Amino acid sequence: MSATTQVTAVPVCPRCRSTTTEVRGVSPVAGVWTVYGCDTCFYTWRSTEPEENTNPDKYPAVFRLEPQNLPKLEIAPTIPPLPAKKT
Amino acid sequence: MRAYQDFREFLAVLEQQKQLLRITDPVKLEPDMAAASAAATRLGNRSPALLFNNVAGYQNAQIVTNVHGSWANHALVLGMDPDSGIRDQFLEFVRRYRMYPGQLERVTSAPWQEVMIDKDINLFEILPLFRWNQGDGGFFIDKPCVISRDPDDWNNDDVENVGCYRLQVKDKNHLGIQTVPQHDIALQLAHAEARGEDLPVAIALGNEPIILLMAATPMLYTQLEYKMAAVMQGQPYRVVQNAKGLDIPYGSEYVLEGRILSRKRQPEGPFGEFPGYYSGCHQYPVIEIDRVLHRKDPIYESVYVGRPWTELDYLQALTTSAPIFDQVNSTFPEVLAVNALYTHGLVLIVQTKVRYGGFAKAVGLRVLSTPHGLGYAKVIIVVNEDVDPFDLNQVMWAISVRVNPAGDILMLPNLAENLLDPACQPSGIVTKMIIDATTPIPPDRRGDYGEILGTPVGTDTWLQKLEALTKELQR
Repeated sequence: MSATTQVTAVPVCPRCRSTTTEVRGVSPVAGVWTVYGCDTCFYTWRSTEPEENTNPDKYPAVFRLEPQNLPKLEIAPTIPPLPAKKT
Repeated sequence: MRAYQDFREFLAVLEQQKQLLRITDPVKLEPDMAAASAAATRLGNRSPALLFNNVAGYQNAQIVTNVHGSWANHALVLGMDPDSGIRDQFLEFVRRYRMYPGQLERVTSAPWQEVMIDKDINLFEILPLFRWNQGDGGFFIDKPCVISRDPDDWNNDDVENVGCYRLQVKDKNHLGIQTVPQHDIALQLAHAEARGEDLPVAIALGNEPIILLMAATPMLYTQLEYKMAAVMQGQPYRVVQNAKGLDIPYGSEYVLEGRILSRKRQPEGPFGEFPGYYSGCHQYPVIEIDRVLHRKDPIYESVYVGRPWTELDYLQALTTSAPIFDQVNSTFPEVLAVNALYTHGLVLIVQTKVRYGGFAKAVGLRVLSTPHGLGYAKVIIVVNEDVDPFDLNQVMWAISVRVNPAGDILMLPNLAENLLDPACQPSGIVTKMIIDATTPIPPDRRGDYGEILGTPVGTDTWLQKLEALTKELQR
């Protein structure tokens, strides 16, 4: 297995810097790549991508997200009200 | 007109027509898939589909892109001569569209039932997923047929929906789905969520090509894509019904079965979208996948969505033009054609005869009230019958000499718009514009139009002769 695919420590999310990340999958041909995902902002990246996609310090500022702002994102479509329960 | 049994049969036809390019060199999922597919969109009207079969990290993955990515391939989807022009394809598409409805043919089994996975589903292992654009929030399934029914009218086949919606693979068995309010599935989801119920869905990938075109067509809510596919291919459309009652195309490579989770939203995006800009990140619904079925050695299909013109623009070109034409023409028979080729119809051109002064503006207003016009049409250019709406040189001429902005531009503020349009302010709301590029006629007495230039006698005869000679020359 190459250095890029060793799963010794799951990295911090490049986009929102959360530590709620996990390995989502590894290449069927062993050792070629690992896919990671974040359970906070749901960003996904492959170990073999450029640093702009994998390194929190190199990730483009325009695409970064703050975990505390995620609930403020626009909701689409809106969730309809539930009908009032009959008493 | 012809019917393709499945995705593989169409790929074989493309190959026979020299419209399928096999890429056997080693490729990396990033950046090669995006770079090669974007490059293919710049190859012109005969751009081929690309089939990659030497993908880093896989023994035998097969990925296909650009299947609909040229007018030649689009014509082959319709069973037409690959040299057919846009206008001919438009007229033929409209002719078949007006034969609706065709028939649904239910059979009991399909090749995609060969392999079934219902435990420990991991989409990252099952599908060769990849990132299209660098700022995308993840790996997207972006060429699916998503099938759903209306919980308030469950057994009505005519309101079953087959739509093409982007799906972000969020974790091993969860997807995000973009259901903007203008989409039919948003209406069905609203009905399910008002009941507090999940909405069952089936997601078909690697489909024979006509159903994907139909999934991209903004037909009426009460029209079923399978019945439209049947008239487009000239044969009943073959499906297999699953345990939930959802009809799934016979000719697919993969089928994902699951549910849109009721009343749940999660961050989704960004994704490089059809306007040529990233979509931003929103709170969108979530799908939980319960079961995956696929053919042996499945072929995965995806579409490059980038700055137009790309494969996506072919997918949305006539599929958008024809329904708007049909709906407007049924109200105004004077309307002769609609060109909605540009960015999913954010700009569109309507060709019409003019009955009296001001008529063209009414035609433009009617376009705005079609189902697609409600969420997309933003700039509408109305031209006379002597201007071919598919020839932008002619359209620009009409704007140049037949528009006086003082009276020919209508601005309509605060109308509904697809929230992916980056010009919206706020998101989902935009000012729309009608440009009346027709010649004023009574009682509209503006301008000073004398006698218009004609075409030299015999031009049409010479055109046919030169077209034949040129075709021979370039053979």
